[in-house]
Amino acid sequence: MNLNRKQFMVSILFLIPAAAIFILFFYVPFLQSIYYSFTDWNGVGKPKFIGWANYAHIWKDPHMTDGLWNSLKMAAFGLVVQNPLALLAAVLLNRQFRTRSFIRTAFYLPVIISLVVASVVWGQMLQYDGFINEVMIRIGLESITEDWLGNVWTSFPAIILLTQWQAIGYCAIIYLAGLQAIPQDMYEAAEIEGARGWSLFRFITLPMLMPAVTIVLFLTVVGSLKLFDLPYILTNGGPGTSSYTLFLAVYNAAFKDNNYGYATAGGIVLAIFIVIVSIVQLSATRRKEVEL
Amino acid sequence: MNGSKRASFGTEVALLFVSLLFLLPVLYLVIMSFKEPRIFYKPLQLPDRLYLDYYKQALGVEFFRSLFNSLLVTVGGLALTIFVASMAGYVLARRKERTFQFFFYLFMSGMVIPTVGSLIPLFKLATFLHLINTRTLLVFLYTAGFIPFASFLYSAFTKSIPRELEESANIDGCGSLRMFWVIIFPLLLPATGTFILTNVYGIWNDFLTPLIFLNSPEKMTLMPTIVQFMFNKQSINFGPVFAISVLAMLPLLLLFVLTQKHMLRGLVMGSVKG
Repeated sequence: MNLNRKQFMVSILFLIPAAAIFILFFYVPFLQSIYYSFTDWNGVGKPKFIGWANYAHIWKDPHMTDGLWNSLKMAAFGLVVQNPLALLAAVLLNRQFRTRSFIRTAFYLPVIISLVVASVVWGQMLQYDGFINEVMIRIGLESITEDWLGNVWTSFPAIILLTQWQAIGYCAIIYLAGLQAIPQDMYEAAEIEGARGWSLFRFITLPMLMPAVTIVLFLTVVGSLKLFDLPYILTNGGPGTSSYTLFLAVYNAAFKDNNYGYATAGGIVLAIFIVIVSIVQLSATRRKEVEL
Repeated sequence: MNGSKRASFGTEVALLFVSLLFLLPVLYLVIMSFKEPRIFYKPLQLPDRLYLDYYKQALGVEFFRSLFNSLLVTVGGLALTIFVASMAGYVLARRKERTFQFFFYLFMSGMVIPTVGSLIPLFKLATFLHLINTRTLLVFLYTAGFIPFASFLYSAFTKSIPRELEESANIDGCGSLRMFWVIIFPLLLPATGTFILTNVYGIWNDFLTPLIFLNSPEKMTLMPTIVQFMFNKQSINFGPVFAISVLAMLPLLLLFVLTQKHMLRGLVMGSVKG
């Protein structure tokens, strides 16, 4: 009993450093942010409690609404375009061929490059007299050259396309791992039953891949809500509010306008969206596990 | 390998083409850093000689200072996380009492709760603790952010270590703390490796945290320095910005090429479980 008690205390000691850092720098600010989101506060002085006013204002502020709308558009694009492309890439990368390791490296390499460096390159390539337009002119598409990042209609679509450079490789690797975890004899059994090509994919690969699919969908949606570096560096949300994301709107409300209470409310809204996506993902995964 | 299908020649060629497209921006970045001003704004022209002036301009005090700061917070953040999360993950795997279960779920909730809203209270907290504008604060923030994933990873790996090992060490009169660092921690090395290889990029490439919590140039890390460099050079020549970007990318590129097999495996594990 006494020895047990001692061991328990020692174990607590092992836990304390991590728990202390985590609570102080993660939980305390998180709980505080819930309170601040109901206040009018500019960072100095006392926060003034104003109830739901911040939350009500979010829906009238074009920075926030356009930011949210853009994030949702990007998430939709991620689900409809990026996700199938990543899956296709993974299926192809799972086959045997000579240059496979080179191609895998090439697909994954963009992921480790920082968004800052990516912004430097892409910002230059997308300029009016930049690489992309020059190539367009050379191949006879002069009529669709554009100041891609300086135009209300093209700035955010351009940013979405830029994210694909990293997102496809990242998601493809997750799918690839999922594919490699599927036992080979399932395919053999199905082939004996007469299943071929598409039906193999539809009835074995896809169901077996569901855990990976939910992870990728989760990462896609959360990533689009949290996107910050690219619009901040490339366009600062402009022209107008055309390339705002929700995160950028929160950042600007806080650190440009010193409207901290309001910014925290934006942060909470963002957090709620992410939690909803997590819950949907968790329940979807759990349902699949039951089925399997 | 696992008997998967062979790709047709056409598929291989198509994939090669796409992967070259993926590499193009990286090549473009490197090429631009060597293009002399005369041809810098001719996008399709390749440099005909190695022009090193941008590198001379980029390799100034600013670069070395921020490189040092990036190294400092990266090593600091990883080391502190490994130190605290390995101990925590170990006991979370071994003890079944309520207290430990509670902390396990508390840590796990950190994987879902986003930190966006907390940035402002954190700013206030850091001011209160006199940690604002210090690299120490960054080390703590990265550690707090990594604790959920890292302690989960360590606790998963601990479960594969037989308990008999600890019992025999106990009989030998080894104190718990010593026993952990001398016997258990070395066995957790794969977890440590996985953790480092999947998270070193996150700190090195981080732009937002130093942007918010640091303000003096002496303490700034690489990424905000590049952006500052870029905004300063907007009207002049962009070449040095490309050179400094290449230099900032280089350490991670080398690390990636050398460790990519391990890294991809770890990353998959992290994402599947996270």
